[in-house]
Amino acid sequence: MKWVSQDLKRYTQAKEYVDTIIMPLIPFQIAPDEDANKKAIQNESLSIISNEIEKELSGRVMLLPNYYYIKSAEKDSEITRLNVLSAELSKQPFTHTFFITFDMDWKRYEKDLDSHLLWFPSVQSEDLESKEVVSIIRDQVLQICELIRSYW
Amino acid sequence: MSEKKQQVSRRQFLNYTLTGVGGFMAAGMLVPMLRMAVDPVLQPSASGDYANIGLSVDDITTEPQRVDWKIDQVDGWYESEVSKSAWVYKDDNDDIIALSPICTHLGCVVSWEGSDQHPNEFFCPCHDGRYEKDGTNIPGTPPLEPLHRYTQKVENGMLFLGDAKPREEA
Repeated sequence: MKWVSQDLKRYTQAKEYVDTIIMPLIPFQIAPDEDANKKAIQNESLSIISNEIEKELSGRVMLLPNYYYIKSAEKDSEITRLNVLSAELSKQPFTHTFFITFDMDWKRYEKDLDSHLLWFPSVQSEDLESKEVVSIIRDQVLQICELIRSYW
Repeated sequence: MSEKKQQVSRRQFLNYTLTGVGGFMAAGMLVPMLRMAVDPVLQPSASGDYANIGLSVDDITTEPQRVDWKIDQVDGWYESEVSKSAWVYKDDNDDIIALSPICTHLGCVVSWEGSDQHPNEFFCPCHDGRYEKDGTNIPGTPPLEPLHRYTQKVENGMLFLGDAKPREEA
């Protein structure tokens, strides 16, 4: 399910079945140009991956909107914000919360976060439509789904 | 006023004007009626389209195989290319069955023999929903209706699939 009105109607009927939250953490960067380009590609590919995960596990997972933060800023304030979110989510019957990201900086702060962090490497290619990239992404999606299922 | 001699008499002028205005009013009443009659023919039948899923009929076995294809979808705001998939196989009567992998419980994707403890069944990983090979939901599991079936046709030995419909309607 996504955080859109059409799905939320179904969600309110079936709250006890939807117990998992997924939120992509995406760094924003506008300068220097090359890094900004890379980050923009990662933004697209992580959005695609999280949408595919939502399609696979639609009835048990709620995909939250992307969480953007400034790459160069200190992580501490972000951690505080994310923990506030985790606290809010745990008031609803969500037993599992996953943050997914390509940004490896989060791995260092993993223990400060109240929810599970899933980091995985990004596909470096610019062409997200090519057959190879599509199949790599498809594999990643299936592996992440397996990982999520192992927590259930 | 103009120097030129008025060719048209006042009566004729009035005649022309009245005919013109009368014509506009008649057209204004008739055109919407004509449009309403013709419109249904002009509608593109988007939901009646079948898509070539790239599977030859000879390749279909009695073992369900998954096929993925894309179609264009237009909603109020976006036009997008949507990915669809189906589990296709031949049953004992040699009929082609194309099942939608969307679980009828809450929409997760089911897979054939997805669970080692339940062979020969479709398995939904979200809430352990299970279906028989022909799509019937197994009682005691969350789904309350069978898997939807795709409308289908075979052309030149290739399988074409349309929309997925609930079992009773197909």
